[in-house]
Amino acid sequence: MQCVICNRDAVENNYCELHIKAYESVAEKFQEWKKASGISWKEYLSEIAKNPLTGEWAKEVAEHLIKSGEK
Amino acid sequence: MEKYELIITEKPDAAQRIASALDVKGKAKKMEDNGVPYYVAKRDREIVVVPALGHLYTVAQERGGRNYYPVFSFRWVPRHVAERGAKKIRTWLETISKLANKADTFIDACDYDIEGSIIGYCILKYACDNKEKTSKRMKYSTLTKKELEKSYAELLPHIDFVLIEAGRTRHEIDWLYGVNLSRALTIAARDWSGKYATLSTGRVQGPTLKFIVAREKEIRSFVPTPYWEILAEAEIDGSVLQVEYEKKIIETKSEADAVLNACKAKDGQVEKIDVRKFKQKPPVPFDLGALQSEAYGLFGYTPRRTSNIAQRLYLEALISYPRTSSQKLPRAINYKAILKNLSKAPEYKKLTAKLLAKPKLKPREGKKEDPAHPAIYPTGNLPERVLDSSERKVFDLIARRFMAVFGEPAIRQSMKVYINVNGNRFYLRGRRILKRGWLRFYGPYVRSEEVLLPPIEEGQAIKVRKVISEDKFTKPLSRYNPGSVLKKMEEAGIGTKATRANIIQTLYDRKYVRDERIVVTNLGFEVLDVLEKYCPAVLSIGLTRELEQRMDRIQANSEKRENVLVDAIEILKPVIEKLKEREKTIGEQLSKAVKKARLEERIIGTCPVCGTGKLMILYSRKTRKRFIGCTNYFKGLCRTSFPLPQRGSVRPLGRDCRRCGWPTVQVRIKGKRPWNLCFNPECPLKEERRKRIAMRNMQ
Repeated sequence: MQCVICNRDAVENNYCELHIKAYESVAEKFQEWKKASGISWKEYLSEIAKNPLTGEWAKEVAEHLIKSGEK
Repeated sequence: MEKYELIITEKPDAAQRIASALDVKGKAKKMEDNGVPYYVAKRDREIVVVPALGHLYTVAQERGGRNYYPVFSFRWVPRHVAERGAKKIRTWLETISKLANKADTFIDACDYDIEGSIIGYCILKYACDNKEKTSKRMKYSTLTKKELEKSYAELLPHIDFVLIEAGRTRHEIDWLYGVNLSRALTIAARDWSGKYATLSTGRVQGPTLKFIVAREKEIRSFVPTPYWEILAEAEIDGSVLQVEYEKKIIETKSEADAVLNACKAKDGQVEKIDVRKFKQKPPVPFDLGALQSEAYGLFGYTPRRTSNIAQRLYLEALISYPRTSSQKLPRAINYKAILKNLSKAPEYKKLTAKLLAKPKLKPREGKKEDPAHPAIYPTGNLPERVLDSSERKVFDLIARRFMAVFGEPAIRQSMKVYINVNGNRFYLRGRRILKRGWLRFYGPYVRSEEVLLPPIEEGQAIKVRKVISEDKFTKPLSRYNPGSVLKKMEEAGIGTKATRANIIQTLYDRKYVRDERIVVTNLGFEVLDVLEKYCPAVLSIGLTRELEQRMDRIQANSEKRENVLVDAIEILKPVIEKLKEREKTIGEQLSKAVKKARLEERIIGTCPVCGTGKLMILYSRKTRKRFIGCTNYFKGLCRTSFPLPQRGSVRPLGRDCRRCGWPTVQVRIKGKRPWNLCFNPECPLKEERRKRIAMRNMQ
């Protein structure tokens, strides 16, 4: 099984070792965003995808989640 | 023919200085044999001073080629035997041997540290026919005439054997780790792909790459969180000052809005004023690491560059020996004499006069000690030639730091004004220097600004001009730079002051990392991934540090070199076996990473014409000439191409042209300054340049 983003070997949730860390970070930070500005998961993903401070892998995960519509 | 005394130094400059210092007339005669310089000094007897060229001997495998591993048997050989491109060493050693034949006494005058001691030991043992046991030792920390004469008059009775044992062990262990691990990676990749690429790692290189990669992973996985900051502008005595809300970070928008609404169109009142005075002690003298960090922070010099500059300044007897970890300045260096000599430079005249007027000179010192050398200090000699800009900066930094350590503490005052705006508290902060103390000496290198406030009293009404809330986001950890990596290595206790800067450079040379604000490349990730999967032991900072400590114990004569070597091999053996077992898998992973890295090196950026393809450096099949073409050409979608210079090397710059926004490349031709090239034929910069040249020609 390969990572849905970079074709490395997937280790969990269809993500490789590098992108799984980014995925966990994306999932974890949603609660903080929700509390801070009350936005939805979809809005959150598009916000972090365009934020220049978001790390490259976290951005790739956010873009993938937007495309796939995963929750 | 009468026999003479042979002195061996580490570098030619040091040989000339020592010979001149020891010659009765202060003018040693320069001689040459086979292009190798040496110096003859006359004293009560003849002295010949011959330099080395740094290390002339190195560790190499006992027999066989470079294409196999593991290798556990080694010996010390002349560098030209082990390294390509070191042919000069052969004639150098022949000259030293020739001179040694006619000498009856020997003195090792190489730098007094581990590396210098090994250089001297190897030459005495191998090139001078086992004279290491009878040789005497010169110990000095500056190349000034006075210190060299004193060192010659008070020769140490023998070379420092424990220091040499420790140094030899370090070289041998580093060689064992470096050669075996690097060959395992390189051979695995080559055998899988059929193509050669140098891949390396080592006892210190691996752990260093590991903590750089850990930071990179944090940065790449980082998700910022929003927060809000409230700022206000207050008008006091006609001046507008920025004040900050008591909570620096407001976590929710609703809270920020509530504060904003409460302060809207309201004025404030000064509740309280806190004034604090505090002393700021002078800095401690420079050890090499601190000098490298400071020069990086102030001038952007890489640690290796600073180290090279400091070495040049030392060889010209302008500063003391730079490869030191000491933060102590012993009284014996004669503070007063140094300051008096420095006062001959107009820029230091007033400053030194202030220090010389003090009844007693006492430096502030740090905790770190080095048994071989004091902290870095100016010798008091002034440059005999015009220093280049970087040398001048580093020299000035060292001279001013030296003066600053004798200064009085600076006294600063901080002021915090509490302003209440409708129940919400804001702070106005001021800073000023009450007494400059040591700051006067360190002047241009002090990084702190003053913020002066107008007179304010408690109870005073404050006009609030506006209150705003700013949307902010948390920031990722900052990237490492060569200076901060060096500091981290020091803190972790890995590598030595002599090796750290070179290890960082190797990471760049191997293309594991790039840029000044360090970014790990895909190749760097893959190499570390392989090491983490198959030999995590060699990445352990703990293990590396433990080996360092054991090597230090050899130096203190409380550990046997043989035990450390045997244990190091015991750790290495199973690691290499595991790498060998998985050679194919590792080879595949690394080959793919190398291939990708080579491809990435040729990608310049997005094609500005089609917007979807990538511009890449390509080679014409017909003419073999290189050019830039769009990757969409292969799909029949875009025919964009641009010519490139055919000489020198071309690499993507990674940033766009400041005028037209097209991607740019850097061209490097040997002997010329590299230049940045925007290949857009219609770039306005090109037109401007053409006009400028035309104007110049008309004039």
